[in-house]
Amino acid sequence: MSDALRPITILIGALGGDGGGVLCDWIAHAAHETRLPAQVTQIPGVAQRTGATTYYIEIVPLRRAALSGREPVMALNPAIGEVDVALATELLEAGRMIFNGFVTPDRTTLIASTHRVLSIGERVAMADGKFDTGRLLHAVRERSRERILFDMDQAAEESGSVLNAILLGALAGSGKLPVPDSAFESAIRSAGKSVEPNLAGFAFGRAHARGELEQAVRSHHARRAAGRGVEDLILRVQASLPPVAQPIAEEGVRRLTAYQDRAYATLYLDRLGSIRAAEQAAGGAGSLTRETARHLAVRMSFEDVIRVAQAKVAPDRMARIRAEIRAKPTEPVLVIEHFKPGIEEIAAILPPGLARRLLRWGERTGRTGKLYFPMRIKTSSVSGFLRLRFLAGLRWWRPRSFRFIEEQAQIERWLAAIRHAAALDLGLAAEIAECARLVKGYGDTHRRGSDNFARIDREIVAPALAGALAARVAADGVASARVAALADPDGDALARTLADFRVRATPLVASP
Amino acid sequence: MLDQPPGALVATATNRTNPERSFGEEVRSLRLGDGDIFRGEGILAVTKALLQSGVAYVGGYQGAPVSHLVDVLVESQDLLDELGVHLETCTNEASAAAMLGASINYPIRGCVTWKSIVGTNVAADGLSNLASPGVIGGALIVVGEDYGEGASIIQERAHAYAMKSSIWLMDPRPNLPTMVRCVEQAFELSEASNTPVMMELRIRACHVTGEFPAKDNVAPAISRNHRLAEPAAHNYDRISHPPSTYVHEKLKVDVRQPAAQRFIVERGLNELLPGEREDLGIIVQGGIANVLLRGLSRLGLGDQLGGVSVPTLVLNVTYPLVPEQIADFCKGKRAVLVVEEGGPDYIEQAIHALLRKKDVDTRIHGKDVLQMAGEYTAEVVTEGLLKFFAQTANDIDLSRPRQALDAVRVGRLEAQKLLGGPLPLRPPGFCVGCPERPVFSAIKLLERDVGKVHISSDIGCHSFATLAPFHLGNSILGFGMSLASAAAVAPVMQKRTISVMGDGGFWHNGLLSGVASSMFNRGDRVLVIMKNGYTSATGAQFIPNTAGNRRDGETTSDIASTLSAMGVTWLRTIRTYNVGTMLQTLRDAMSSAHKGLKVIVADGECQLARQRRIRPEIAAQLKRGERVVRTRYGVDDEVCTGDHSCIRLSGCPSLVVKPSPDPLRMDPVASVNNGCVGCGLCGEVADAAVLCPSFYRAEIVQNPTWWDRLVWRVRERVIGLFQPRVAEPT
Repeated sequence: MSDALRPITILIGALGGDGGGVLCDWIAHAAHETRLPAQVTQIPGVAQRTGATTYYIEIVPLRRAALSGREPVMALNPAIGEVDVALATELLEAGRMIFNGFVTPDRTTLIASTHRVLSIGERVAMADGKFDTGRLLHAVRERSRERILFDMDQAAEESGSVLNAILLGALAGSGKLPVPDSAFESAIRSAGKSVEPNLAGFAFGRAHARGELEQAVRSHHARRAAGRGVEDLILRVQASLPPVAQPIAEEGVRRLTAYQDRAYATLYLDRLGSIRAAEQAAGGAGSLTRETARHLAVRMSFEDVIRVAQAKVAPDRMARIRAEIRAKPTEPVLVIEHFKPGIEEIAAILPPGLARRLLRWGERTGRTGKLYFPMRIKTSSVSGFLRLRFLAGLRWWRPRSFRFIEEQAQIERWLAAIRHAAALDLGLAAEIAECARLVKGYGDTHRRGSDNFARIDREIVAPALAGALAARVAADGVASARVAALADPDGDALARTLADFRVRATPLVASP
Repeated sequence: MLDQPPGALVATATNRTNPERSFGEEVRSLRLGDGDIFRGEGILAVTKALLQSGVAYVGGYQGAPVSHLVDVLVESQDLLDELGVHLETCTNEASAAAMLGASINYPIRGCVTWKSIVGTNVAADGLSNLASPGVIGGALIVVGEDYGEGASIIQERAHAYAMKSSIWLMDPRPNLPTMVRCVEQAFELSEASNTPVMMELRIRACHVTGEFPAKDNVAPAISRNHRLAEPAAHNYDRISHPPSTYVHEKLKVDVRQPAAQRFIVERGLNELLPGEREDLGIIVQGGIANVLLRGLSRLGLGDQLGGVSVPTLVLNVTYPLVPEQIADFCKGKRAVLVVEEGGPDYIEQAIHALLRKKDVDTRIHGKDVLQMAGEYTAEVVTEGLLKFFAQTANDIDLSRPRQALDAVRVGRLEAQKLLGGPLPLRPPGFCVGCPERPVFSAIKLLERDVGKVHISSDIGCHSFATLAPFHLGNSILGFGMSLASAAAVAPVMQKRTISVMGDGGFWHNGLLSGVASSMFNRGDRVLVIMKNGYTSATGAQFIPNTAGNRRDGETTSDIASTLSAMGVTWLRTIRTYNVGTMLQTLRDAMSSAHKGLKVIVADGECQLARQRRIRPEIAAQLKRGERVVRTRYGVDDEVCTGDHSCIRLSGCPSLVVKPSPDPLRMDPVASVNNGCVGCGLCGEVADAAVLCPSFYRAEIVQNPTWWDRLVWRVRERVIGLFQPRVAEPT
């Protein structure tokens, strides 16, 4: 084979809607303008509807004039091990090209955006279902010859352009094609759509690929709770808790002060103190205290209508919304909330006696889970705001409410189990603490989570604490049951895991 | 919430042709003439070739990868009017196939197109009845062979239809000059042998780019512009009815096939690539010739310009084969490899048989070294070639290419190990703001009440509901077949079955195969018809209920009145975005005392088409300084607990997850990104499913009036007075 005629091969991995087709048109146009034979093909089909798809391009690095009328035969399919440049509009799609063997360390320059667009499977997970980015980046480093990696989604935003223009710029900047920049620019111009923004994106991508431009790292800011006047409680955290648990406990103190009051935050520290003591007695270094501190603060600031109203009327909320929806400073914004409280939500803030009667009535008449009061509240209007402000102001009443009293009892039971388990095995105690993750959400979701929690407690934790089950075995059982409980919303995986556990654990129960 | 009163959908025909892709550039290329160079995609080159061949009529039914053929002609009405070409956007492939009947009696050329294998299945009756009497005007069927990676249908070959109906099958090499030449020759072949010709084009070939020297378009002698005064004289021989059909069968084998074979040889339709290894040979389908040629060059047995060391016969016509041509090619060779994609191996079997009959003892390899099922990718063909030469020519040193292939395979395994198992799949799904999604959210909620329900799915965007996150659907039996496919399921179920059908499927087949049959048999079933106004999965082509026909801007047929006319009495039309109402209607349908067919028309315009339509309008309004309210949804990340129920009930691409801003929570929270079009489904679902109070709707007033600004300022001022101060210790 004559190397002079060997085509430069380009494989593009993209999501439907990323503009992969337009990107190909630009590249083909630029090659044509440079008088290089080029061929593009693609398999769009229904993948255009948000699915993953690929495009394949071959460019012969010899001008047509030099071919004296002969036509090179170009392939329509990429071949493993024979891709010179791989472009990906998203990191997982770069991973897919690597997985399929198209990106190879001896040949391929990989140009990819590092941002992630999570696939549906990753998004529907009940907890964190995201594919390990570290693994993707590791594979990218190991399997490519050269790479140009940056967050092109952010770059598109920064340059007021679109991702495919950035990618085209990065391809030009890589210098892997015998095509001058002017040919790419001319391709963008002759396409005639959004020419200026596309040229800006092209310039941005090219500068980045050539290392002429550093991109600011988009950071993720955690928002700290706003509790104030708790300096003495913070001092108490620093004095009484191990260093690893301190940042979280401090956040817990602030959060619970904002959520309820100082006294409630003090109760938090008292509760944490008992866990600290149990952990110390068992020789732990503080990780049990830290994780309990995290979950305890979340459990103690459970979501009732008062807390939701507090969040909806928070002073900085409107500014946050305006930034998120990109409203210009001169544009009025109306915000409308979707609420639909049912019998349980109403009972939650009533006194226990009244709440129980209401719930019994709901059960008896079959109205629980059926009767709801849908409301649309316009927080940006005075009357809507005042209604929510009134609810948020009911904070003083909360400790007398049914839900508050119930939650405290459950929290105490959970803490007692952690303390008890700590004496047997710190691993088991940590697993029990972690189970608090199951209890979250609202309505059905919350009910399901609580039921799952209770099931694991009944079937594994209680027998272990009663000495009927080895603590180590129980710790493993709780861990896998928790993962299973978060695997599917119907509880099928949890049921299977628990059944499986019963079978495996039975002989151990019999042993002395 | 997106409320689209029906009146707002009606627009003039001129500004509403083909909403998904506009073919401005391509329409201009169709006018190129002698001396010009045409540049573009394969399927558009084929379209140009039709006009150069003097077709009098073109028809078809949309489907990847051949939709663009008709789409671009729809936008070229001026040109078609000038040339006198009649264009029919058929309502299914049977109707397209029947259109070719014009060429039975009249010497006019015509072409129809569709996606295969599914379209060919639907067209089969018409094709049989066309092929039997044969044609006097050239009749071409361009089928998009939707096979291999990226295909969206069952994997079968159109080849079987060509064989059983005696239709000639062309499979041209995937470069534009060959494809264009083959179109022109196909008409001549058709006329020389009085037989319709089918041309199969694979997905990549339809979308491959290239160039060819254009010719002037040819206006047909008999056409819309030059009408015939009299119909053809009555000739019973041209009717596919006994006893003519017995004569036709004989004509096929005694006259037409030999004529075709003569034409194929005389006009050199198949290409012989010479090579010095005369003891070996390769026979390949034209459509995969490039994969083979690249494979040979990889092995050092070919070059970049298509030169080969091993003689290769490229079959641009794969049916009929010419026995003499094949036998002559094979004679004197020790072994010949047949590279034929897909199963069954019709060509290989035929070659075996014809060599045996002619007593040629060349060894034939094919599916023994190449896989029977699946696309012939570069890797598959390279592996096959290596095996073939290893068995037949140990004098060729293939150790380097063998090692190279093995090395990249080992590398791939390493890469997969590094990534640690399969990557998350990214199946197609409903677009942002899709009106069909809320229906499936409602069905999910229905299942919470009544338990699982048997759901017959159909072809169309709504088939994405069988994938994550909905996982709804028990079977797919074909386009418009969902209601019919529940006919024997419904009687054995305690709960009623639900069939889901798109409006595309309804007009394609569902109305008669489904509705009429169900009514006739008093079926007690539920049918949900997604009325989004287009065949959206194929690029948003118009259908009879589209608001505004492409010809005159008037809507042709209304689904609800059609159903009423057919006697459907339980009929509800529901705005799809209204999940609560949809849920209640589904409940009613499942529990109603009415025993017959219950139809819910889920009404909501395709969002992709809608956005294309309204975006320029909104941009113009903003430019004029008019007041425009932009709606979008958001999630209060403080209130969201990260359980993602909302995503499981919606799956909207703009409903994403982001790291929790709460330092105490580890699970990512839901978030609405800026792709949101404000359809309101997430809020509706949160409401109907009683999920959580995290969702808010924001209305941004662009170009506000002085009144807007005044009200806003007053509100801000008053609210500021009551704003809670940061929680103080008590």
